[in-house]
Amino acid sequence: MAPEPGDELLRVEDLRVHFPAGGRALGKGRDVVRAVDGVSLSVRRGETLGLVGESGSGKTTTGLALLRLVEPTSGRVWFDGTDVTALRRRDLRAFRRRVGMVFQDPFASLNPRRSVGASVAEPMEIHGLHREGRDRRVAELFEMVGLDPALRRRYPHEFSGGQRQRIGIARALAAEPDFLVLDEPIASLDVSIQAQVVNLLRSLQRELGLTYLFIAHDLAAVQHISDRIAVLYLGVVMESGARDAVVGEPQHPYTRSLVSAVPIPDPERERRRERIVLVGDVPSPLDPPSGCNFRTRCPDVFAPCGTVEPLLQDTPNGNLAACHLHGVVGREVPRSHHPDSTQVAEAEGRVG
Amino acid sequence: MSEPLLEVADLRIRFHTRRGVASVVNGVTWSVRPGETVAIVGESGSGKSVSTLAILGLVPQPPGEVSGSVRFEGRELVGASDADLRRMRGNDIAMVFQDPMTSLNPVLTVGRQITEALELHLGLRGDAARRRAAELLDQVGIPSPDRRLDSYPHQMSGGMRQRVMIAIALACDPKVLIADEPTTALDVTIQAQIVELIDGLQAERGMGVVWITHDLGVVAGLADRVLVMYGGQVVEEAPVSRLYASPAHPYTQGLLAALPVLGEHRDELQTIAGLPPDPSDLPPGCLFWPRCPKRLDARCQTERPVLRPAGPDHRVATFYDAGSEVASGA
Repeated sequence: MAPEPGDELLRVEDLRVHFPAGGRALGKGRDVVRAVDGVSLSVRRGETLGLVGESGSGKTTTGLALLRLVEPTSGRVWFDGTDVTALRRRDLRAFRRRVGMVFQDPFASLNPRRSVGASVAEPMEIHGLHREGRDRRVAELFEMVGLDPALRRRYPHEFSGGQRQRIGIARALAAEPDFLVLDEPIASLDVSIQAQVVNLLRSLQRELGLTYLFIAHDLAAVQHISDRIAVLYLGVVMESGARDAVVGEPQHPYTRSLVSAVPIPDPERERRRERIVLVGDVPSPLDPPSGCNFRTRCPDVFAPCGTVEPLLQDTPNGNLAACHLHGVVGREVPRSHHPDSTQVAEAEGRVG
Repeated sequence: MSEPLLEVADLRIRFHTRRGVASVVNGVTWSVRPGETVAIVGESGSGKSVSTLAILGLVPQPPGEVSGSVRFEGRELVGASDADLRRMRGNDIAMVFQDPMTSLNPVLTVGRQITEALELHLGLRGDAARRRAAELLDQVGIPSPDRRLDSYPHQMSGGMRQRVMIAIALACDPKVLIADEPTTALDVTIQAQIVELIDGLQAERGMGVVWITHDLGVVAGLADRVLVMYGGQVVEEAPVSRLYASPAHPYTQGLLAALPVLGEHRDELQTIAGLPPDPSDLPPGCLFWPRCPKRLDARCQTERPVLRPAGPDHRVATFYDAGSEVASGA
């Protein structure tokens, strides 16, 4: 299925998810964890968008917020022309039928006391699908993901990690969705099994015309499966673009360091390559830096980075990058580090 | 070339379980010299971690049963007394584990956990121990080490905790450092920091390093020699550049072809069909036989191949001959 340019299935506009944190500093408002802090994405029908980020980048929360499994604090999510953020409870169910989710740990997401066939049939029960011949449909799904249909009577503990992930995929496909959110679907698997699952996902996409959001920390795997890639850091999209452009000619210093940190299984190339080793750790999402979120570790930091929050802008190779190196574009921010609750409300008011 | 520091010969480990006897390590032989980095690569269940636990005498017996030989500078460690092993652990051979959060004590400050090792092994106490602990934190790249001594593990990031673990491991100036998946739980930008740190410390101190990992990507940049384990056996051993350029075992070939490589395009990743063998029900012949794309039926199924030479410093345990295929094929 060649996607028509502009044939957009999912559009995310300035999504924010803030969680109240336990603590309350003296004389200030409640602390806020800014897990997702202004994410904009677009996924075309039939393509795979890879969402890559390290721990704490907000990639999982973004995936959950798209399905409203956590409620967005602000921003909009459009799915096939419908504003998901405005859906009522009943319409939400119809929307979720069209969007499946596959999780990192298939064991934790399968009920240990139900046969795996029953778990795969569950979405059909919820949505009232295939009332007749549901078991036959389960058998079909097993075949589709490369499992012997006879195994559907067994229980999760009888399966290996790779088999469980196939079961997780079968369940995500049970309600015949158009779109799958795949959250680190191969991270807990051995290399030889990862390849099996990646190949399965690609062939299912071709056969069923599925659209994927593939969330992962492993840039090499993301590159392999994606048409386009978006790079998250501390709740913000740093760069996005066509996969080869993002990996081959990254336009953001963070993407550049990420690309250079991914090990290459070739000793000669490893020895020759120049590695940008970032100093320090990712700052806390409770207290992100002012201006650019990456500035505390950026090798190219300069004056405006502390005071102007960069926006995604066009770069010479067509990627979008949120970086002042391509021209200082963005919103000036007060130097204050710890916004109290009224400031947070104001900031959000400006967003909405 | 210098003498090996640590020599493992025909190491075997079995566990007696309710389901019968599980043979998890089936005759493993290797050694590491001063200044050398040996990587042991394998997937889950290959026996890579348990074989190094046995080196330190950390496999409980029973239910475990360890045989073969492990020599450190000529001294035999298999069957050594607890007291001897305790003296050796930390002083001669130190270990860094995958998950620093479970190996650090959550209710003690970082400083206390380092000084504990200094007291126990070197008899350092009070201010002297604290000064040395701060030096160690400084060496592993922890900023403001004096203040950090009073932090608790939960107040540190994953990368910082792993640095603390490395500081503890280095406290007694060990000659061999065993690092068991030390970067697996870390983000890739932090992984790069830790790899660089261990590399630098090794160059400074001339330690032998044994790096255990599932990740053929990381290994390429840091190892001198690589051992590939499968089903509790070493199936291939070679200098790092040779292993990647001309892998001789079908399993190694399969692993390398299954890896997505950044900046390269493979339409389809090659897969290795099937699952690793069940250690309590090992096939009689080659352990990789049921999954092997190159198998020769009769012999592979009934006879277990042992390591044989496959080139300079290169050994492989397979009946399949990569060379003959290149010669006759194409």
